[in-house]
Amino acid sequence: MSDSSDEDFNESYVMYRHRREWSDVHPIKQNDGPNPIVAIAYSERFLDVYDYFRAILATQEKSERALELTTDALRLNAANYTVWQYRREILHALKKNLYDELQYIAEVIEDNPKNYQVWHHRRVIVEWLNDASKELDLTEKILDLDAKNYHAWQHRQWAIETFNLFDNELAFIDKLIAADVRNNSAWNQRFFVLKHLGLTPETVQREIHYAMNRIRLIKNNESSWNFLKGLLEYGDFSISQFPDVETFTEELYNSGNRSPYLLAFLVDMYTEKTLHIYETNSYDDPEVYARKVVELCEMLANHYDTIRYKYWKYVIQKFNADKELAKVGPNEQNEEKDEEEHLVTREPEKVNGEAQ
Amino acid sequence: MNKRVHARYFSRFLNLLPHRLSCHDSTRATIGFFSVSGIDVLDSLDLLSEESKKNIIDWIYSLQVIPKEGGLKCGGFQGATTLNLLDPPENYSTDQYKWGHLAMTYTCIAVLVILGDDLSRVDRKAIIEGVASVQRDDGSFSASVEGNEFDMRFVYCASCICFMLNDWGNVDKKLMSQYILKSIRYDGGVSQHLENESHGGTTFCAIAALQLSDQMHLLNSKQMEKLKRWLLFRQDGGFQGRPNKPIDTCYSFWIGAALKIIDAFELSNFKENREYILSCQDTIVGGFSKWSGTSSDPFHTYFGLCGLSFLREPGLLEVQPCLNISMRAFERLKNLHKIWQLHSQMEVQLNIE
Repeated sequence: MSDSSDEDFNESYVMYRHRREWSDVHPIKQNDGPNPIVAIAYSERFLDVYDYFRAILATQEKSERALELTTDALRLNAANYTVWQYRREILHALKKNLYDELQYIAEVIEDNPKNYQVWHHRRVIVEWLNDASKELDLTEKILDLDAKNYHAWQHRQWAIETFNLFDNELAFIDKLIAADVRNNSAWNQRFFVLKHLGLTPETVQREIHYAMNRIRLIKNNESSWNFLKGLLEYGDFSISQFPDVETFTEELYNSGNRSPYLLAFLVDMYTEKTLHIYETNSYDDPEVYARKVVELCEMLANHYDTIRYKYWKYVIQKFNADKELAKVGPNEQNEEKDEEEHLVTREPEKVNGEAQ
Repeated sequence: MNKRVHARYFSRFLNLLPHRLSCHDSTRATIGFFSVSGIDVLDSLDLLSEESKKNIIDWIYSLQVIPKEGGLKCGGFQGATTLNLLDPPENYSTDQYKWGHLAMTYTCIAVLVILGDDLSRVDRKAIIEGVASVQRDDGSFSASVEGNEFDMRFVYCASCICFMLNDWGNVDKKLMSQYILKSIRYDGGVSQHLENESHGGTTFCAIAALQLSDQMHLLNSKQMEKLKRWLLFRQDGGFQGRPNKPIDTCYSFWIGAALKIIDAFELSNFKENREYILSCQDTIVGGFSKWSGTSSDPFHTYFGLCGLSFLREPGLLEVQPCLNISMRAFERLKNLHKIWQLHSQMEVQLNIE
């Protein structure tokens, strides 16, 4: 929980109740009831500002001085969405220059980069202006302070998608990934951009190499592995369609790397192979792969990912059950599916979230 | 663990906050929720006298917005009394800015249930109309009729409210589920909004909403297995909210609850989770912090305790993972549902006669 900064006001600040130009306004106290809970020991200034805010809200005063009052009210509590809403109504009524407001809200965001209301205000103003030309710069500035700020990424994604600002985004992401290859937000943004630009087979191929190159740099990085896996699973692709990846991961393994993400990837790859062979009754020996799956899970459980010991034991169990189902063959499998639906993994359906 | 010291920590927040916390002025109801539900999970409601329980209930009701006939469908609860006027001159009114807020409505109803209120003063019909009126075309929900953002958090709050009032009214559950499914990311987690990054808090929101709306079957087994792994991979001692982020006490709840809901919590590492949460405990002042060695706050204290409750820590009440209230409060709610059902059956019968 962050703190309020009542101290932000300069020394010449005068209480509203002492300002001659406000003498015509009747301040209204808050009715917190006879026995309030979670009461706040408001400062004198807080009480003063909000007593006057209630008054202008109740009388629907939309004036320059009311606008300034909202600035003070928001400085004391930037999370008050009613004040933001009323400020917007004043801006609208006075036909204020919204580019000034854009400047103001940028400053407020820099002071409160993790506050929902300030980003929402920014978004409404950008929508009113129908101009998002400053959004990439603003979010870049905020991401400079914290490259994983969720609000900034959300705003950036919205601006890019709504105003079609995809052009230089891959280069921007590349810069962030170069600075910190573990920045999961940047990897996610990469996936978002690629999907909108179109994940053609060529793009997928290029991006697979992009991910593999970064895994070569730092192997124990969940973000790059998730990205790689996500690409492979996208649409109807399966891991085995990409022999480059198979070679890459097996070479990593043979060179002695035991990152849990690598081992987990191999578990998935060999699981896929085993079940595929059983389902299609091909001539390969599925048990070669099946043994690898179990062996890798045991390694994870006992040595390389012991915190998830129980999980990897579960994966073995589930794998064995799926294997039995795959052996039965697709026709009989459908009949059994009704009874044991929770055990069937190899359904042909797409992952809803990514297929649309 | 010294239960009393944590219960007293919460009761201090129920009383008075220092002015440096004025930036939480608009969301006092949620601090009330963390404190009351926290005291309940600590099985220490006896710390609150009957009178103070009544005062809390009355204050919560003072936040309720009763919409005008034919006006804006703004039913629900506000987060604070900021717009409640004391002795206003004639014709002075802030009513047109009083809107129910989904997060506040959810937490206010929860507080009422925890304290044993029968919800008879809750305008159930107006609230459900309010929830339906803030649903958007993409299936998500805004926090209020105007002036607020929309995302997975409010999908969750909407689901809690409808479940707690046992009425989905004109809420489009199907559309809501489509929004949730579209927000599943390539790594198996769920984002706050569509193609944003997977996040522990919003993954919980999505999964709990599916469960509360009885739509968990919409996840196919591949999605379910990916989700399970994504959730379990968040553990690194305690839990983190996103890959490559530091662990934080509150995710012992968000991730833990999501795992509970999909019946996979037993696959997590209890010992390390427990050790981390307890390392964030302030045994003198009370409360839990997000990181060991930093100062406590009600939010992390509440979620730390819920995390411990999932680990069956002695002395704590069991927590219902979807609604995020004690199982005891949950049972009380189910009883209210039964009573409402009886009443409506009786009404139907009277009408027939």
